[in-house]
Amino acid sequence: MSGTYDVVITGGGMSGMMAAIALADMGRRVAVVSKGDPVCCLSTGCIDVLAAGNNPLGGIGSLPDNHPYHLAGEDLVRISLEMFKAVMSEEGMAYAGDMHANRRILTPLGRHKITCLVPGTMKFANFHPDEYIHVISFNKMKDFYPNYITSNYKNAGCSIFDAGVSTTMSIAQRFENRRFLEGFISWLKGLDIPEGRIAIPAVIGMHSAADVCNEISVELGRKVFEIPTLPPSIPGLRLFGGLKNALLKRGVDLYWGKEIYSVEKSGNQIEAVTLAGDGRPTRVQGNAFILATGSFVSGGLHASMDTVRETVFNLPVYLPGRRESWFNNDFFAPGHAIENAGICVDKSFRPVDARVENLFVCGSILAFSEVMKYGCGHGMAIATGVAAANACGEPV
Amino acid sequence: MIKTDVIIIGGGSTGCGIARDLALRNIPHCLVEKGDFAAGATGACHGLLHSGGRYAVNDSEAAAECISENMILRKIGVKCVEQTGGLFVRLPGDSKRFRDMFLKGCEETGIPTEVLSPSRALDLVPNLNQSLEEAIKVPDCSIDPFRLCMLNITSSQKRGGKIMTHNRVIDIIRERGRCVGVKVQDKSTSEVTEIRGRIIINAAGAWGNKIASMAGSGVPMTLSKGSLIITNHRLTNMVINRLRPSSDGDIIVPNEAVCLAGTTSITVNDPDESEVDPAEVDVIATQAQEMLPDFGSTRLIRTYAGVRPLLKANGGDDRKISRGFRIIDHENGMFSIMGGKLTTYRLMAEKISDKVVEAFGLKTKCRTAEIPLEGQEELSGYPLSKRLKTLENIVCECELVTADDVEKVATEIGTRHIGDIQHRTRLGMGPCQGGFCTYRALGIMQETGKMAPEESMRVLREFLQRRFKGIKPALWGDQLREEQLVESIYLGILGMEQEQ
Repeated sequence: MSGTYDVVITGGGMSGMMAAIALADMGRRVAVVSKGDPVCCLSTGCIDVLAAGNNPLGGIGSLPDNHPYHLAGEDLVRISLEMFKAVMSEEGMAYAGDMHANRRILTPLGRHKITCLVPGTMKFANFHPDEYIHVISFNKMKDFYPNYITSNYKNAGCSIFDAGVSTTMSIAQRFENRRFLEGFISWLKGLDIPEGRIAIPAVIGMHSAADVCNEISVELGRKVFEIPTLPPSIPGLRLFGGLKNALLKRGVDLYWGKEIYSVEKSGNQIEAVTLAGDGRPTRVQGNAFILATGSFVSGGLHASMDTVRETVFNLPVYLPGRRESWFNNDFFAPGHAIENAGICVDKSFRPVDARVENLFVCGSILAFSEVMKYGCGHGMAIATGVAAANACGEPV
Repeated sequence: MIKTDVIIIGGGSTGCGIARDLALRNIPHCLVEKGDFAAGATGACHGLLHSGGRYAVNDSEAAAECISENMILRKIGVKCVEQTGGLFVRLPGDSKRFRDMFLKGCEETGIPTEVLSPSRALDLVPNLNQSLEEAIKVPDCSIDPFRLCMLNITSSQKRGGKIMTHNRVIDIIRERGRCVGVKVQDKSTSEVTEIRGRIIINAAGAWGNKIASMAGSGVPMTLSKGSLIITNHRLTNMVINRLRPSSDGDIIVPNEAVCLAGTTSITVNDPDESEVDPAEVDVIATQAQEMLPDFGSTRLIRTYAGVRPLLKANGGDDRKISRGFRIIDHENGMFSIMGGKLTTYRLMAEKISDKVVEAFGLKTKCRTAEIPLEGQEELSGYPLSKRLKTLENIVCECELVTADDVEKVATEIGTRHIGDIQHRTRLGMGPCQGGFCTYRALGIMQETGKMAPEESMRVLREFLQRRFKGIKPALWGDQLREEQLVESIYLGILGMEQEQ
């Protein structure tokens, strides 16, 4: 397979997929190239916009001047998040949340994670500490230990269901089965939980989790919510599945599981990338390119003993000093200097000092994003993805 | 109050070796240790059973001790010694004169050597630097220091030895100028126990001077920090040394599924000072890469440092201090044993136990060199086939440790320390360094009632801080990817920011 496109997006994560949706909606012919499933599969599925502070959207103005959110601007951040919500609703995975007020969800350690938009299955995760919580666990599930949670509340109980399987993936798949779900619900009814809410690790189905959650709620007459678990995280996989489906619906071509091994340039223009895989090279040609390969975890950036390089186009990378200064001593103090590493761009998302005109950069590979420090991972990816799409959509 | 004949302070290789030696001579004893076994220099060394080659040129006494103990330990400790053999590799530019001195020193101290051409060396270790000049084969081995301590302790416990880990000495009891006992405090419960004995042996290693000073004496020692790096796989099946005078980054030792590369030598004042400097990592990694070029592209999963308790020298380079040992009779009922090495731990234990026997007016002979370490027959090793039997229950995917293994150890030794579980099962020793499985192991300990949930949260926090301290100095490449993932799990998914 090979092809020619208006825009070729390298990286199939949150920012790349949102950029693809935005461009496809503008009527552009788009391809997404990704070496594998994205990092959002490992996430809680929640959209952190700005967890540091109370007002996510309103807090953007007070971020440092070089933060990538400013490139998009508050209006576009809002518009892109609305767009994300609309896309997920179309996919039957409506998100809840208020862009002007953060909310809390329960974590497997019985603590709280602060976030902004949450999947419908976590809508009721923000509860009063005095309210009774009944935690459901699954037999032999190795990443979920309800004692961590119940010990934090004076009013909490726990029951364990035997699903016959023990991994998050296999339990979630069971929930797609009607008879399994009915069995689970009748077991739950038999518990005679007297009051309060029911908390279940996030394994109640793959794509139909929202319906499953609803059905349990209705049948039990209780508020039910999910607790996101360690990777592989089912809500993260659902999020990815939803967006991927939205791309396919829009006719976006996906080149998945293929790594870019060469880039063709002519003057200040990138003309094509060549992908490895399927036994022979695939050439993907584009008028414009968007770099959305993410930071270190996804492999967009690679650190060696004393330097950091960008792995696809070899763009200049901003580096926050020598290695000794990359990390804080305290594991729990977010904001290691290395989080600033990345690509510096101009107002139109073009890389600075790179001598390419048709390349745009978005997502966590952008310099100064400090995703962990500000709690802005998916929010920043969505906003810059859409903003970069707008920037590159114009001249085409 | 506990009454015994000999109180041993320190659960490193020396202390554990003394416990075994005394046990085999039927002398009642009690060993106290502030942490787990092998918590000091023993557990933080490179796990090398020296052939003595490293000391052949400058320290012939230590070299001779090493080769003779090496031959004993490989016989009595088959399950904790891996007979890897070692190479001293001479690279372009390394002194030929030193090579001649090395061969001469080995001959004089009885260390067998074999000079190998580059092609023969490459047959043995194919990923050696291709441009090597030659290699000299010596009988180096890799040794599991933690297992060694445990096996020594087994002999002691079988014969009624009293062993108290996680108990710190807070006072030495003296009556009429003589040391007659110690007071120890339990780390978890803060409970204080008084132990009375006729002789106290200070085998506290780097903490020896602190102990001696509690008894109104002191021991002359130099503390030398040595840092090491752990690779995520086994790059070589033989120990690789650089054939040149002792220097930073001159050794790579295979150990189970990984390799340990080191070391450095920096004088420190405090035995608890074990921070690894990124600059040390750079030196070790660069030097190791000269011997094994693959080292440069290998993921480094952790760094650690130990503090060597060396005999005091008058200034100069720590590396020139003899690795020999010394026994000091404080003439107040306390003996201190100083210096030495893991390789010579048995000999050290023998010599000080001889002193004890002499003081008690007995004539029993040391038997530790003849009798194999007991308890080895029960050790399964870590055969993959056995571990894969219970695949679905695995909580540590790197080292294939099951939930049952964790429960079993927690129940058997009744511990509240996650480190005890890690040492005894290898949980968390693999590439993720406990990033995933510690949370699970603590969850299991809660479920079995071994640990209160609040305590497990505190332990988890402490664990993550300690882990990060070890990982941070060598954080780049794929290890950086994994570390950011672990960070996003604990700070993001689990919501463990600074105290809420």
